[in-house]
Amino acid sequence: MSRTITCPVCGRRNGYEFRFGGEDKGPRPEEEGMSPEKWFEYTHLNDCKAGIRKEWWFHRDGCGVWFTIFRDTASNREVVRPPERELEAVP
Amino acid sequence: MKRLTHLPTLKIDTSKKISVYYRSKTHTGWYGDTIATLLYADGIRVFGRSLKYHRPRGLYSLDGECSNTMMAVDGRPNVRAETTMAADGMHIAAQNVQGTSEKPVESTPEKDWMGFMDHLSWAMPAGFYYRIFHKPEKLWPIAVSRIRKAAGVGVLTSGYTVKGRYDEIYPATDVCVVGGGPAGMEAALSAADKGLRVILMESRPWLGGFYDYRTSLDADGVPLYRKANAMAERIAGYPNIRVFKNAPVVGVYGNSMVTAFQRGGRDRPFEQRYIEIQTRSIVVAAGCIERPLLFENNERPGVMQMGCAHRLARTWGILPGRRAVFSIGHDLGLEAAIDLADLGMKVVHVADVREDGQDQRLLDELKKRDIPFSRGWTAIKAGGKRNIEKVTIGTVNGMRRREFSCDTLAASAGLTPVTGPLATAGAKLEYHHLTGFFLPVKLPDNVYAAGRLLGLNDPASVEASGRLNGLRAAAACGVRVDSELKAAEAETSVLPGPVRNSKMVTAPVKNQKMFICFDEDTTVKNVDQAMDRGFDVPELIKRFTAAGTGPGQGGVPGHNLPLYVAQRGDSPDVDPRPITVRPPLTPVLLATYAGRNHDMHKRTPVHESQSASDGRMDRAGVWLRARYFSDDRRSRREIENVRGNVGVLDASTLGKFRIFGNDALKALQRVYIGDMNRVREHRMTYAAMCNDDGCLIDDGVIVKQAENDYYFTTSTGRSGATIEWIRYHTRYENLDFHMVNLTDAFGVINLAGPNSRNVLQKIADVDISNEAFPFMGYREFTINDIIPVRAMRLGFVGELSYELHVPSSYMQAVWDLLEKAGKSFKIKKFGLEAQNTLRLEKCHVIIGSESEQRTTLCDLGLGFLWCKSKPEANTVGSVALRQTENQSGRLKLVGFKMKNGLERPPKDGSPIVDSRIRGYVCTARFSFTLNEPIGMALVEDSYAKPGSVFGIYENGCKGRLIRAEVVKTPFYDPTGERMKS
Repeated sequence: MSRTITCPVCGRRNGYEFRFGGEDKGPRPEEEGMSPEKWFEYTHLNDCKAGIRKEWWFHRDGCGVWFTIFRDTASNREVVRPPERELEAVP
Repeated sequence: MKRLTHLPTLKIDTSKKISVYYRSKTHTGWYGDTIATLLYADGIRVFGRSLKYHRPRGLYSLDGECSNTMMAVDGRPNVRAETTMAADGMHIAAQNVQGTSEKPVESTPEKDWMGFMDHLSWAMPAGFYYRIFHKPEKLWPIAVSRIRKAAGVGVLTSGYTVKGRYDEIYPATDVCVVGGGPAGMEAALSAADKGLRVILMESRPWLGGFYDYRTSLDADGVPLYRKANAMAERIAGYPNIRVFKNAPVVGVYGNSMVTAFQRGGRDRPFEQRYIEIQTRSIVVAAGCIERPLLFENNERPGVMQMGCAHRLARTWGILPGRRAVFSIGHDLGLEAAIDLADLGMKVVHVADVREDGQDQRLLDELKKRDIPFSRGWTAIKAGGKRNIEKVTIGTVNGMRRREFSCDTLAASAGLTPVTGPLATAGAKLEYHHLTGFFLPVKLPDNVYAAGRLLGLNDPASVEASGRLNGLRAAAACGVRVDSELKAAEAETSVLPGPVRNSKMVTAPVKNQKMFICFDEDTTVKNVDQAMDRGFDVPELIKRFTAAGTGPGQGGVPGHNLPLYVAQRGDSPDVDPRPITVRPPLTPVLLATYAGRNHDMHKRTPVHESQSASDGRMDRAGVWLRARYFSDDRRSRREIENVRGNVGVLDASTLGKFRIFGNDALKALQRVYIGDMNRVREHRMTYAAMCNDDGCLIDDGVIVKQAENDYYFTTSTGRSGATIEWIRYHTRYENLDFHMVNLTDAFGVINLAGPNSRNVLQKIADVDISNEAFPFMGYREFTINDIIPVRAMRLGFVGELSYELHVPSSYMQAVWDLLEKAGKSFKIKKFGLEAQNTLRLEKCHVIIGSESEQRTTLCDLGLGFLWCKSKPEANTVGSVALRQTENQSGRLKLVGFKMKNGLERPPKDGSPIVDSRIRGYVCTARFSFTLNEPIGMALVEDSYAKPGSVFGIYENGCKGRLIRAEVVKTPFYDPTGERMKS
């Protein structure tokens, strides 16, 4: 894989060593006001937008840590953390 | 043939002889010979016959840019003779030859009875098979079989298996340099001087590129080959430069990965190996190949590239022939003519397509040797049936002609850059009017181009370009090189830049056979036919005429096709456009991608003793496990021994974990569907994990060892993912806990059967009576005073049974002790198949057998494991379980027995049908305990009640369904007395 991912413990490594853990959707929803729709949205729906996204990755063949990185889904490259407003501006 | 053995540029070792067999004869050459040079030195000129027209083909280049010299070696077809080193004892055969002999090995490409195909070329215009053979439809299969017989390259004999070892390596580096010529070597050196790790890739077996065979002098008066040797020596002295020779690049991906393969054989431990390089920056200095000159019969044996003629003599000591004509378009051709004349070849005439621009010193040298030279002349036609005998040359405008007799014609239109690595990296290429090359106008970040492929020709410029781009690559890795970069830029700015190249493509010939692509027998006329039919871009013409789709991967037509199309096109203001290049840039054996393909598996601590006592080892996930201990595929004796006596099973593959820390209980509460507050010490709790859809993903037992310190087991298949799973579901909370995967640290022995207590008591150091160690109890004790054991009373197979967790290093010892203690009871090993039937009789589920990804905890009847009072949103699976608990139409797990006295179980996986599919059989076996077939199935809830009858469809049942009836479960010992007693 030409993609590399930077693990907070092990540094920049071959993308094959990692497992994708989905978009960063925040913590589990609160017990209060839970509805089937809300639950479905949290567990199954993704934004799937082209551009810079914050994602969870797991260093499976390494230190075994879950962490987030920023990835440009259009170029499939890891990128440095962009300024907040740029993140917001992703269409 | 007498070979030149005194040249300092030779790459052969004349002290080591190599013999190969070809055409029932032994041919001898030297260590360092490729198959092609060895045969050529022994007088072989025709190496094979062409794809469609069965025209004779010979040595044309030396780097495998066309299929001319593809041969069968030791039964393997399509071996590139030019790039494969000859090895002692090779059996070599020509390809696509219809010989008169019965044995294909003895058919000779010199006499091919299909040679008449060449005269039928009028019947095969461009795309003829697309256009002619599909109407009527019936014609197509006949045409296909005929064409397949007549055309083609190598033939694979059925049953052929690839021999040899195929390896793979995955190095990482800072700078990867593609191309080991002068520019590539300079780039590698300048990056390595900055302390960076460098990998240098070279497709030939040695470094040197355009330098390694040339004796002409550089500005300092040093012969170029010596310069190449000196640079290669310097590189060898750098521990931070890793050189891969004989390793063509397959593709460049993104700006961080280069893939390649390396040819081995001979004295290497692999045949070919795959190389995948992770790199931070890339310098492409792949140099140039020659652009073929198109004239009549331009692929007749005896016609070869100027570099091919030159290198045959300089690298392998073979004079290509006695009398040579040169028709060239580059100073390298003049250099070759002069050098070959000095080495003893008669150079009859040198025709140069260029009117001007030649190096005057070279012209003077030609004059000194009385070699006739004409500007603006080109080869028009090669004559001779199998090998050329004469050549017609003429002015490029076609006005004047002359004929010479000769046996060699060194012909090329000029050079063309090897831009494949850049193109695959995503560089944008555009036509460059001065050089006539397709040059990169926009490079991806961290990718740099250097050397001759930029159109440079002067040795000093080529080297300086290498140094400059090596520094740029170093800078891309974060090294500060500002001042040196400035100096290198200043250096290159005063050196000669890119030079003008010849743009000539075709000689002034009409309606004759000029081959633009050798591999696919595509002529210029075929291109004309395609363009007459309206195809106007090279990309489409390529597909219609097949030009460039052969094994040479566009090496021959790659540049000429777009140039010709642009020249002939209707709008002359449109620049030529390059054809898209895709990996593999050089064809790779599939065996190389398959790699070693060794079966990677884990063995339990008692693997040897299991397989030694007739255990039939099978793959189970990542493990090898004993499935049977006899030829009986139903394991009757193993089963009956457990039910009536005592059996012993190696269950070491179970996942085993310790979780501890302040928040360990919180983490368990998150992932386990039950209430973990109720887990106690000295007592096992059966517990399950679901995913967020409420589907069962894992079950096991858990015991508390201290406050916030637990030991738990998972199924075999989940042991690799458990830590990941628990950490994933607690990733936002920053919980304070630790996990240790003890799967490999402990082996597990399952001792089961009514006599198991009697056996275990003999070696255990404590009282294990039913009162002291009841069902579901957990005890830690020692065996023989020393071996610590974690013992659990569980009942997966439905009998009194003990699960002993033993440190792996003690496993064999405990196993042997148990067998010894059980000898008087006739203890017997049992395997996975016996266990499968035993637990089926108890209706204990195995995840993946009785469940699939839609199956929830409640569907399996395990809803009692779900603690409904736990906060739902905080328990993985709880919300979805609530939502699906009473959903109708779900598949439910049931037990069934056969109707109508059928005495065999249906096959696992058979669908259950009425008017449509209603479910499927999960596991079904003949139960020796009950003396009837039983099974478990997932069926729609309308069929799930005891007493329901359904039909099972089996492969080959011809529509006659087997009937089965849903019964109450479990089948065996419903009250569990036997486990608990």
